[in-house]
Amino acid sequence: MNAHPTPFAPRSRQRRLREGLVIAIFRAATYAVLLAGGGVFADILIKGSRTVFQAEAPFINTTFLFSAPESLHVFEWEGRRREMGDREFRAFREREPGAADVRAESFVYSAGGIWPCIAGTLLLVAGAMTLALAVGVSSAVYLSEYARDGRFIRFVRLAILNLAGVPSIVFGLFGFGMFVIFFGWNVSLLAGWFTLAFMVLPVVITASEEALKAVPQGLRAAALALGATRWQTIRTAVLPYALPGILTSSILGIARVAGETAPIMFTAAYVVRDRLPWEVERAVDFLFQGVMALPYHIYVVSSKIPQNEYTERVQYGTAFVFLLLVALVAAASILLRNRLRSRLRW
Amino acid sequence: MPKTAASSSPIVEIRDLDFCYGPVQALHAVNLAIPARQVTALIGPSGCGKSTLLRCLNRMNDLIEGARVVRGSIRIHGIDIHAPEVDVIELRKHVGMVFQKSNPFPKSIYENIAYGLRLQGVRDRARLDAVVEQSLRGAALWDEVKDRLHQSALGLSGGQQQRLCIARTIAVEPEIILMDEPCSALDPVATAKIEELIQELRARYSIVIVTHNMQQAARCSDQTAFFYLGRLIEHAPTRDIFTNPANSQTEAYVSGRFG
Amino acid sequence: MPAPDSRPHLLARRRLRFLGLTPDDAIRAFFGGNAVVAVIVLALISYFLVREGAGFFGQNRRNLEVYRLAGLEFVDHLRAQEEGHTALTRRLSELRLQAFDRLSRGGADAEAAERALVGFDAYADRFGVAIDPLRALGSELGDVATAIKTKFVVNEDRKEERRQLSAEGRTAEAERVEVMPIDFAAAVKPLLAARDRHREVNRALAAELTSLLVAAPAPPVPELRESLERFGAEVRAYVSELPAIERRLETWDQSRPVSLGEALRAFLFGRQWLTASFWQDWYGLLPLLTGSLLVAGVALILAVPLGVGAAIYVNQFASTREQRVVKPAIEFISAFPSVVLGFFGIAVLGEFLRQVSHVPWLDWVPGFPFSERLNVLTAGCLLALIAVPTIFTLAEDALNNVPRALPEASLALGASRLQTTLRIVFPAALSGIISAVLLGLGRVIGETMVVLLCAGNRIAIPDFTQGLGVMVEPVHTMTGIIAQEMGEVVRGSIHYRALFMVGLVLFLLSLGINFLAQRILRRYRLAPA
Ligand SMILES: Nc1ncnc2c1ncn2[C@@H]1O[C@H](COP(=O)(O)OP(=O)(O)OP(=O)(O)O)[C@@H](O)[C@H]1O
Ligand SMILES: [Mg+2]
Repeated sequence: MNAHPTPFAPRSRQRRLREGLVIAIFRAATYAVLLAGGGVFADILIKGSRTVFQAEAPFINTTFLFSAPESLHVFEWEGRRREMGDREFRAFREREPGAADVRAESFVYSAGGIWPCIAGTLLLVAGAMTLALAVGVSSAVYLSEYARDGRFIRFVRLAILNLAGVPSIVFGLFGFGMFVIFFGWNVSLLAGWFTLAFMVLPVVITASEEALKAVPQGLRAAALALGATRWQTIRTAVLPYALPGILTSSILGIARVAGETAPIMFTAAYVVRDRLPWEVERAVDFLFQGVMALPYHIYVVSSKIPQNEYTERVQYGTAFVFLLLVALVAAASILLRNRLRSRLRW
Repeated sequence: MPKTAASSSPIVEIRDLDFCYGPVQALHAVNLAIPARQVTALIGPSGCGKSTLLRCLNRMNDLIEGARVVRGSIRIHGIDIHAPEVDVIELRKHVGMVFQKSNPFPKSIYENIAYGLRLQGVRDRARLDAVVEQSLRGAALWDEVKDRLHQSALGLSGGQQQRLCIARTIAVEPEIILMDEPCSALDPVATAKIEELIQELRARYSIVIVTHNMQQAARCSDQTAFFYLGRLIEHAPTRDIFTNPANSQTEAYVSGRFG
Repeated sequence: MPAPDSRPHLLARRRLRFLGLTPDDAIRAFFGGNAVVAVIVLALISYFLVREGAGFFGQNRRNLEVYRLAGLEFVDHLRAQEEGHTALTRRLSELRLQAFDRLSRGGADAEAAERALVGFDAYADRFGVAIDPLRALGSELGDVATAIKTKFVVNEDRKEERRQLSAEGRTAEAERVEVMPIDFAAAVKPLLAARDRHREVNRALAAELTSLLVAAPAPPVPELRESLERFGAEVRAYVSELPAIERRLETWDQSRPVSLGEALRAFLFGRQWLTASFWQDWYGLLPLLTGSLLVAGVALILAVPLGVGAAIYVNQFASTREQRVVKPAIEFISAFPSVVLGFFGIAVLGEFLRQVSHVPWLDWVPGFPFSERLNVLTAGCLLALIAVPTIFTLAEDALNNVPRALPEASLALGASRLQTTLRIVFPAALSGIISAVLLGLGRVIGETMVVLLCAGNRIAIPDFTQGLGVMVEPVHTMTGIIAQEMGEVVRGSIHYRALFMVGLVLFLLSLGINFLAQRILRRYRLAPA
């Protein structure tokens, strides 16, 4: 420092350093979060890929993806350790005369695959999202196109905000009390659909309203000035341009619906079910059957069976498939939405 | 009423109109007769209620919360447009509107023009084709776009978009066309084209235009109404307003000595 | 183009009407109907939680009444006395452990240490057996009380059977079901009669303990003198408490009715959640509530600095390119299904944290080392990962909404970026950030799967006496208990209803948090720029 600092002399080094340090701390927080998230993601992806992928063609473990869960039996036979699924084991015992009284350690759900869970989850998500979109988009249309700000509308908005904060397990209880018991639907797809649909409703409404608001006012004015009725205006000059936004944002809702376990625990999910959802005698049975679902299956295999090298396979495999499905959906939603946001500057 | 100048029979008669946005009164006792098949310009400083009046004529103000006519009436062909038996949709078909900011739908040029007819349930392709061509010719746009009718209207230039909006308006065959500062977002060349177009349209339509551009009002209107603070100050043939205004405020405004 | 000279069709009204509605009105009504679905759902949730849960208080009142009528309450006073003694015995064995430790560290081999402790052991043994007469009395009376309760339960079952039979019209069979009304007052006579014996036992106990105090052994190692003295004081306090217990037994009134308020208090402030017990079921919310709050607290302690810090960094300092990567990435984390995180906790994180806790130079951390792999800390870490994206996104929004003019003004006055951020932008966004944190809290308290899988599921109020060490105790939570027990309970039973009541509390809690968050947001919002 000289005696006559110029007015534009750089600030003291020490102060700059201190500022840099504080900013570095903020930055560290950011990357710590990313690291933690990435760590979880990588752990499951890496360990799970051993179950889902295989070295030889077709490189994907089709048994795991496309068959039902079975018990795994582990035993010593002719000096070698053998692992077999339930069906194979039974056949083996019939075939080999000396095997009738072989002592096997058994692990439930640890062999076979998770196809019924995948199917169940897809069905649950499809139905719930259809319902939620129908109600949610209509609701958003009313709020953004028809409603005039007043006490009642403020009340409705408050309800939507609050609904978004209700814990998922409470939705589960509610679905159980209303659909399963009061309506007598039992543990069923239908009960699961409604429970999940009500749960994502706030997400869909908020997303749809944002998309509707993004449609410029001028289009509405133009349509109305040409003699369109309110509904014609909405149908021809608003909804078509809001739809991409509504759909992409609602995909995030899909991730939420697919990812939740608590709401379906008592409303739609079975621990095991032999038959696939479409193997029903009458069409109505389809609606009133419980299904297996990926998140619930993960809960079951991670808490109800011991952890060891034999069970880890199915645990990580299921988590892998589930996480990948949800992650793909979420990533698609986030990317599409960001693309749309930057493209749709009217 | 100040000096009036409705030479031909009026198509719109506004009487004692008071208009409020909630607690704010935007128009005070406006009396105005708008002649048929002429261009009437509304001028006045910003915020004086020109747009408000214009939007009253096709009841676009209905959409604004708390906006309402407090007193007085607007008659078109002698029919009070606020009467309960008047259908606002029919009214808007009859009184078309062109906005300050061009607002084509993000569809093709063709679909933009056909929009109004499709709303009315017209499916006949030949008729649609005919109306599209007629309207585009009417808006002096046909030659520029006839080869790209099925491309997006958003690809047109600002001036072309505005003319497209005019074409879209005349496609539903209104009798009156309202224009709210149609040229304010355009460059001088595009502005000149629109002004030319207005000159052509006046043969068939009654036009009410809001403008901040004195030259424009002088060039293309037959009648001019000057508003100030929600009141109609003076209404007279354009030439009189600009050369010999009866009111000192009008004079101050048109000669540019005024905010 | 026509020249419309004729009168226009302004009057034309060719719209269809149905029940006085135009199609447009009908469509509007349809959309409006959908808009109120959110309100309806909220109302239905409240209704069904109350509908299924409200019966709880009546049932719990009955439950507590039987507890009193059958004399279980009476016996529990004795048991409390027993437990007080057991706690003292445990202190003695702790002291022995410490003494042994000291001795072996002082160079004595195991045998020598044992020898040095002989006197102490004899003392401890005598102390331990002093309670035996009381224990015997307690278990005898306990049997009496359980017998009464069992009889009552059997009777209730029979009554139910009878009711069902007569409802089905099988009156003859219904008649044949025997119901023996219980005379509770007579049944508890043996209990009341045992009060004299109890007084005697107590006198003997007091005498024995007092004499033991006098004959207390010399501390096997000098360092324990103070501890032993403290133990002596505790024993004296215990002895002086004995008459109070006698008085409680004396004044115990079997016929005192249980009010609904008591049933409510037993739920809200009950310190035990104990179900399917052979003795007495308790449905107390406190252990679950403290569990939930503890886990949420740990999660927020981790998530708030990370989430808000990241929001500040991304919004204020990150380059546009960095922003474009980081924001979606964090949003992506929010899509992780909670059950997967829970599984990760079981499979990896729990064990990892346990091993970290055993690293020698980390043992200054409260609670380290710990042996339970699933505990508050494990669950809290994972919940933090769930809360961070919520807090980050909302806080970032709040920072974004600060009018640009504010930081510009500050920068123009010569403040540095950091000063501007910390003194101008951050305070301006504070209400938004606080509400973000609150919404994160709501998210965490309502989260089920992670706590169900990773919190350890021990239903007890954690031991707060260890200070921060409480962070590594296993707990159970409100959400977890519902998820765990709902599948196993009988519909309509008191346990079933209790779970719905827990759900109701959870629901109200989340509404409260939400409400608060919105109030803060609205009250302190800056005028839009
Ligand atoms: N939607 C509205 N709600 C409340 N007040 C309004 C609304 N629209 C206009 N006003 C008020 O009504 C008055 C007239 O507005 P108007 O838009 O008619 O003015 P204008 O003459 O068209 O001005 P400009 O030349 O700037 O377009 C103004 O004071 C304005 O603030
Ligand atoms: Mg205007």
